[in-house]
Amino acid sequence: MNRKLNSVLALALAGSLALLSGCGQATSSSEGASSAASGDTLLNLYTWEGMFPQEVLDGFTAETGIQINYSSFDTDETMLAKLEAAKGSDYDLVIADDYIVETAISEGLVAKLDKTKLSNLGNVNPIYQGQFFDPEDAYTVPYGAGVQTIVYDPALVEKPITCYADLWDESLKDNLAVIGNYRVVDGMALKVLGESYNTADPAVLEQAKAKLLELAPNIRLIKDANTQDDLLSGEVGAAVMYTSQVTTACLANPDLQVVYPTEGVGFGIMAQFIPSNAPHSDAAHAFIDYILRPEVAKSCFEWMGYYCTNKAADSLIDPAYQSFLTLPEDFDGKTEMIQNVSAETEEIHAQMWTEFKAACGQ
Amino acid sequence: MKKKRRISFSTVYLALGLVIIYLPIALVILYSFNESKISSVWGGFSLKWYRTLFADKAMFQALGNSLILGLSSSLAAGVVGTLGAVGFDRVRPRSRRLIEYLTSLPLMTPEIILGMVFMAFFGMLGIPFGMGTLILSHTTFCIPYVFMLVQARLVGMDRSLAEAARDLGAGERQVFFTITLPLLLPAIVSGMLLSFAMSLDDVIISLFVTGVNVNTLPIKVYTALKTGVTPEINALCTLLLAATLLLVGLSMLWSKISRLTGSGR
Amino acid sequence: MPSRKNTRRTPLTSRWMGLTLVPLYLFTLVLVLGPLVYMLVLSFETRADVWGVIPQFTWANYKNIFQPVYLNTFVQSLKLALLCTGLILLIGYPFGYFIARLSPRGKKFMTAALMIPFWTNSLIRLYGWIIVLRSGGTLDKVLMALHLTQRPLKLLYTYPAVVVGMVYALLQFMILAVYSSAEKMDWSLVEAARDLGASPAQAFFTVTLKLTMPGLLSGVILTFIPSMGLFFIADILGGNKVVLVGSLIQDQLLQAHNWPFAAALSVVLMLLTSLMIGLYKRVTHTTRLEGLL
Repeated sequence: MNRKLNSVLALALAGSLALLSGCGQATSSSEGASSAASGDTLLNLYTWEGMFPQEVLDGFTAETGIQINYSSFDTDETMLAKLEAAKGSDYDLVIADDYIVETAISEGLVAKLDKTKLSNLGNVNPIYQGQFFDPEDAYTVPYGAGVQTIVYDPALVEKPITCYADLWDESLKDNLAVIGNYRVVDGMALKVLGESYNTADPAVLEQAKAKLLELAPNIRLIKDANTQDDLLSGEVGAAVMYTSQVTTACLANPDLQVVYPTEGVGFGIMAQFIPSNAPHSDAAHAFIDYILRPEVAKSCFEWMGYYCTNKAADSLIDPAYQSFLTLPEDFDGKTEMIQNVSAETEEIHAQMWTEFKAACGQ
Repeated sequence: MKKKRRISFSTVYLALGLVIIYLPIALVILYSFNESKISSVWGGFSLKWYRTLFADKAMFQALGNSLILGLSSSLAAGVVGTLGAVGFDRVRPRSRRLIEYLTSLPLMTPEIILGMVFMAFFGMLGIPFGMGTLILSHTTFCIPYVFMLVQARLVGMDRSLAEAARDLGAGERQVFFTITLPLLLPAIVSGMLLSFAMSLDDVIISLFVTGVNVNTLPIKVYTALKTGVTPEINALCTLLLAATLLLVGLSMLWSKISRLTGSGR
Repeated sequence: MPSRKNTRRTPLTSRWMGLTLVPLYLFTLVLVLGPLVYMLVLSFETRADVWGVIPQFTWANYKNIFQPVYLNTFVQSLKLALLCTGLILLIGYPFGYFIARLSPRGKKFMTAALMIPFWTNSLIRLYGWIIVLRSGGTLDKVLMALHLTQRPLKLLYTYPAVVVGMVYALLQFMILAVYSSAEKMDWSLVEAARDLGASPAQAFFTVTLKLTMPGLLSGVILTFIPSMGLFFIADILGGNKVVLVGSLIQDQLLQAHNWPFAAALSVVLMLLTSLMIGLYKRVTHTTRLEGLL
């Protein structure tokens, strides 16, 4: 009897909780509508931590009076899941990686840009435009690019490295760090075999797996965060890591060598987009346009350490950073981007990755 | 003789344990004064990370959010967990196991799954993401800590005191607040301290259920992945530790003073 | 039935106090059971091509687990969790026990001293360990100064480094659980056993260990469960080379976008964890323990 009473009470309470939350939502959504109608005073920015120097954010607020709410996510996937749960609202401007932007667009979570509000759009480097995730450039403006290079410390490596195949050399035993992204790491094996990152051929992927497993003895660590520290402290002699980490490492130790692998270079683009139900779309446009100014872009890219996607800013960039933030002049352009693949191919990659990691531990 | 030697062994053991527990912390503090941006190599003494930290308003905002979240959810978990454990005492043996199992489930569910499911769940109910959803989810995964520790203390607790009080005519509420609760207090406090620590440190679940502009400290640290974690965070940890130590020291001093004045009366 | 219950124990509370269970039930029902059902449903669905799920029933996710590469991650996780829980028990039990024997002031000091480090960010604590373990790091310097080793060891990004990190991260659960149980123990029972001629060891195993069993049990549970799911430490101190179920789930969710498979992995992980704990409870007879005390 007593327990029955408990469960009745529990249900009643659950009901009132749901009601309460319903009210909460009603008030918050009406609030959103009113602020969108009047001039925007807020910008809800959603991206990784540390994508802008503080003075750039402060400068925008000083100029426009728009306050910036900076919310951060850890991975593209968290962002998309969150955006989906919020049905494309809550956030005004998102910066994320190319492949997830493609998915976000196909899920209908991205609004088309109003290009009349973007007077500085011409500053974008055309190399980074018209890519697979947004062929018409209707939804996105690029903000920084990552280029997959190999970095090594000549003092800790016996032979110079020029290509991915060199990473398989026995002299690199237990001396290599790679990032924890399987498309990039599996892609190294695919490149050595002369294949595309995005191949769907199971036979080729099988070959790549065999090749990748041969790399296992050379792997000292697989890590995303602060891998540059391991290179700088001498824990490893060579590393494949994020572009910002390459920049940080090379600025700290000028002896480090950066290699554009001869098999072909992979690159990725980070893109800004406005969610489909963004409460402050005008503020987002204003911010994109502000970031496109050459002098603002210059401080952003120097701060971030990613390749500059703003052509007009290239020449402004500090000479110390030039070689890390702009592509070399003799760059042969053998590039390829990692794109979304089918469920079956994804499954092969995931399995290859798990086997590879297990092999590294032995 | 024998007894004395055993006590000295336990002292050595405890001291050694503390040294090992504090070793990484000490290094974190030391490296907050590190000139270099590389988090594991010493590059000379500098206060620059403290300067960076004090200029970083967002960092202090995140710290504030983390403290509010930690305090509210450990308090909520303390109340719900303790009440639950006390009430659990009279649940029929057959249903006990089921309830015990169900309450421990949040500990078993992988964090990322819990985070995703919470997100989907709150989204479905239409609860706006923000501090409210953060507190709800943190309370959920903190309850088991309080519940289990209080449970462990309740099992085999000396009930004669409570019975005696009841025999002497004390009311239900009176017995609970004057006898049962004080006896349970150490377990409740441990459970809440653990909860606070767990909440203060959670990142995966928070990432999924947080809303616009509610960054917590771990979120800020964890999402700096693309650009790298700087010793600024070491500086913040050092300040936090100093503040905690100060608080603990003050509370010990205060209890000493109140004891002294109490005995003087 | 009620009469038997009364002989077993006197409830701490009377009928109306049963209401204290309401908040616990509420949270369990809404925020624990709800998500669980959702996860179970998800584990039987089909993944969409790039993002999301299709509500189409399938056993495929569970079948997928039986591939050797995935089964192996379960074995690895279980091995690591058992090893760490065992070590934590060995180190943490005496720790909690010794604290319980201290003066009230000593107890207060030790609990505070134990808890404070855990109010700092766990990622940062792990970076502290990196400084200790890295080649040419603190430990290397100490070992070389003592002439125990000649050159820097490669300690970081190895299995032992993972174990050190796991023990460090979870030790306080065991200590606090044992402490809170030993603290309320009736020491006169131990003395009585000693007076009756039991050796310290005998007294410990026949009296102390039994009396602290509930704390030990919650300590083991509180450390074993998280150690099955923790992979963060294996990533940072082990260089991600020990593949654990937790990191497999993470990879499946965040890289492969295969939510149903991740859900199936979680269901199996939770079943395995529950099974181990049930087994442990049976072996240690803790179900009978309550009646004993």
